[in-house]
Amino acid sequence: MVSVLAALRVRAIKTEGGRKNLENQYAIEMLNITKKFPGIIANDNITLQLKKGEIHALLGENGAGKSTLMSVLFGLYQPEEGIIKKDGEVVSIKDPNDATALGIGMVHQHFKLVDVFTVLDNIILGAETTKCGFLQKKEACKKVEEISKRYGLNVDLDAKVEDITVGMQQRVEILKMLYRDNEILIFDEPTAVLTPQEIEELMATMKEFAREGKSILFISHKLNEIMEVSDRVSVLRKGKYIGTVNTKDTTKQELSNMMVGRPVQLEVTKDEAKPAGEVLKVDHLCVHSHVQKRNAVNDVSFNVRAGEIVCIAGIDGNGQTELIYGLTGLDKPASGTITLCGKDISHASIRHRGEHMSHIPEDRHKHGLVLDFTLEQNMVLQRFNEPRFENHGFINNKAVRDYAEELIKKFDVRSGQGPITRARSMSGGNQQKAIIAREVDRDKDLIVAVQPTRGLDVGAIEFIHSQLVAERDRGKAILLVSLELDEVMSLSDRILVMYEGEIVGELDPKKTTVEELGLYMAGAKRTAKEETAV
Amino acid sequence: MKKEHFLQSEGSKSVAASVLSILIGLAVGSIVILIVGLTSPNLSLSSAWDGIRIVFGGLFSTGRNAAGTLTWGFNPTNIGNMLFRAAPLIMTGLSVGMAYKTGLFNIGAPGQYLMGTLVSLSIALGLPSETMSTTLIWLLAFLGGTLAGALWGAIPGLFKALLNINEVLACIMTNWIAANLVTWLFDISSFKNVTESTKTGYIYKTTYNGVATAKMGLDKIFPNSQVNGGILIAIVFAIGVYVLMSKTTFGYQLKACGSNRHAARYAGIADKRNIVLSMAIAGGLSAAGASLYYLSGNTEFFWSTYQSLPAIGFNGIPVAMLASCNPIGIIFTAIFMSMLDISGLQLTNLTAYNEYITNVIIAVIVYLSAFSLVIKMWIGKLGKKNDDGADANAEPAPVPSPAADAVPAETEKGGDAK
Repeated sequence: MVSVLAALRVRAIKTEGGRKNLENQYAIEMLNITKKFPGIIANDNITLQLKKGEIHALLGENGAGKSTLMSVLFGLYQPEEGIIKKDGEVVSIKDPNDATALGIGMVHQHFKLVDVFTVLDNIILGAETTKCGFLQKKEACKKVEEISKRYGLNVDLDAKVEDITVGMQQRVEILKMLYRDNEILIFDEPTAVLTPQEIEELMATMKEFAREGKSILFISHKLNEIMEVSDRVSVLRKGKYIGTVNTKDTTKQELSNMMVGRPVQLEVTKDEAKPAGEVLKVDHLCVHSHVQKRNAVNDVSFNVRAGEIVCIAGIDGNGQTELIYGLTGLDKPASGTITLCGKDISHASIRHRGEHMSHIPEDRHKHGLVLDFTLEQNMVLQRFNEPRFENHGFINNKAVRDYAEELIKKFDVRSGQGPITRARSMSGGNQQKAIIAREVDRDKDLIVAVQPTRGLDVGAIEFIHSQLVAERDRGKAILLVSLELDEVMSLSDRILVMYEGEIVGELDPKKTTVEELGLYMAGAKRTAKEETAV
Repeated sequence: MKKEHFLQSEGSKSVAASVLSILIGLAVGSIVILIVGLTSPNLSLSSAWDGIRIVFGGLFSTGRNAAGTLTWGFNPTNIGNMLFRAAPLIMTGLSVGMAYKTGLFNIGAPGQYLMGTLVSLSIALGLPSETMSTTLIWLLAFLGGTLAGALWGAIPGLFKALLNINEVLACIMTNWIAANLVTWLFDISSFKNVTESTKTGYIYKTTYNGVATAKMGLDKIFPNSQVNGGILIAIVFAIGVYVLMSKTTFGYQLKACGSNRHAARYAGIADKRNIVLSMAIAGGLSAAGASLYYLSGNTEFFWSTYQSLPAIGFNGIPVAMLASCNPIGIIFTAIFMSMLDISGLQLTNLTAYNEYITNVIIAVIVYLSAFSLVIKMWIGKLGKKNDDGADANAEPAPVPSPAADAVPAETEKGGDAK
């Protein structure tokens, strides 16, 4: 077995020595790629050139054709037109095995790991070292340890994948590529699932790879990350190639305009909140944790008034999910009271709570949608038995169809076949838009929105933010849970910071800074309890 | 947009996949007949040819003429018997199919069928026909049997809803409990057939008490057969289940719970109640099938069942799968399955082969219907080659599992790990 270290060193020397000659050499060139699907051209004459040792960002809205293009490169799709070149030579990639043989590796947005296998087993799966048909795990283990030490990719090789954090799972995926000595690394929206700290680590690792001469394709629609880490950016829009720019010569605004095709409002514009009467009041609420012995939500009190956006900030896993479960009825509160529109709903059913509350759930696949249902069926998930949609126990199909079409139009939900599209076949952004449409249109006094913009592109984020602000201005009370600091700072009228199940501070976004907010989120600072209790 | 190729629509793909499974099954059956015919010294090629013809057209064979060759034509006995056997099969098929559409695998159909048998026979034989109208007794027996099956089906439903115990496990256990319960209860009952001494272990036919399913004129169309109104009742049930599942808000709730229990709960739908109801309805359907079969008046129940479960309950599974759980499709697949039964009998009666050949055919078809998704995809590709640009999904998701990683495909499914 060739030592990876040696291999890497050789490559590093090569790159350094040959940098001048290779200046204009591309590691991968995808020239004039066209890929059609029935009814749509997913990639229309797209050219993408990846230089050796660069981090090349691929930017585009949901459904712009980024994933299709990467699937073509990875051999999952065959393009109708166009050629792929590796180191200047035309290659044919018929399936992912060809891609691996060419040194192309990919970290998928949704990880491809076997949950019940250990980390080590996952890394070597498909590239096992064997002797007479027996696994040589020791050697593999040594190689993996070397790589992980070299790049500071800490993983517990013996842990089962189902037991480790999402961030560590991603490191496993990265180690998989390194174990196979891949030199072209594709990261498909790698930061969507990570915490801010993990994102920073990932960025550092990516830069390290690039320094060593590996070429990186970084698919994202988060402009901050692209600005920080990439050397060049290629932008796709609706299946077409818009252009490639050097990151240092461009701005976030320019990139987002290229991506969306019109000037985008990156900052949320909103007037001063005019809070009115109290809509939601939470008093000394406790919710049990299903994982640990202690309460996931411990003695939390706050209120939300009509016409304001209250944001619960915090690092993922500090009790936000449980708090929302307790509020919306998905879980039973252990103690405390919840008052909604003057009524005690602490023990009310979900349906009963829904009379005054709509809920944009954190997990759109688990709670938000029935993926096997059509879009129109999903649009009436809570309302199917309202007189408008029900006739003596029968579904009024026409009313449902009309209503779905109305929402689709109003909220610009894009899908292949309109109301009869299966929710499963829609892009993530449009699934989220469908949920937002449904929940906002239910027209309830309180909107609980949990990470409503997670994984969405700037165009969709802008739309959702403006919808939430519009609802606020219509006098709705909005409780927002967000992990994105930008979103917290720009959208909220009041910030409540959660740390280890408790609210440790109430901040005014106009008077505080991101740094101060970060200190609260990390638990390094807290206001006395009496002050936060409302 | 181009008009859809007919092989691209989901419905016709399912039908094509089922028909293909059936044809392959029949072909395999024919091959088995041929092999047996050629290897056995007692059989000749011509008797193998007879066997193959009966496998495909057993329904229309009318026997052999004086010269010993097979004769063909309209055979009302065969068709009538086929419809008679199809009725309970439609019901167990509906039971499995309906549960499957709501995300539950009802492998408890045999147990529910037995409970239906117990209660409907007890009512039909126990109520005094001297003082009550036999129609009323029939009705009470049918409803009682159905209700018993519904309650029996609700048990695994309750376990699933309240304790999250897999319904398959609970169903298997309730199956055997039902088998023993039915045996014991009939053992201490007064319904054991004692007048016909040759028949030990049998329960009286319901005609003993004057109760029998109305013929509804079908005996005029198919004379000399066992057919009765049961088939019509089963068809009405199938249409009823179709309407319930596709047109009503109740069916919408059941399907929502089945596809994604979490989302249903999130939307305020009472998921636990719906799981129990789903299983209860499935149990009721299966038991109603038993009632239809045993109240016909010409069937006898062999009560020492504790060693085995009624095959008709399990046969509901292939019937439902072959029809992709479509209630209307189930009518046809059940009739087809009972046609194979009839062909099997014809094989035994008219050739040197026996009915086990048709078991082989059914087995192959069941196997293939389990692969129906693969066959459907295959048909879809075939259709695409003929007509490019049909299926209209605007945003094709990239194929998820790259083989290079050699990790088994992980399908995203609503967060609902089953």
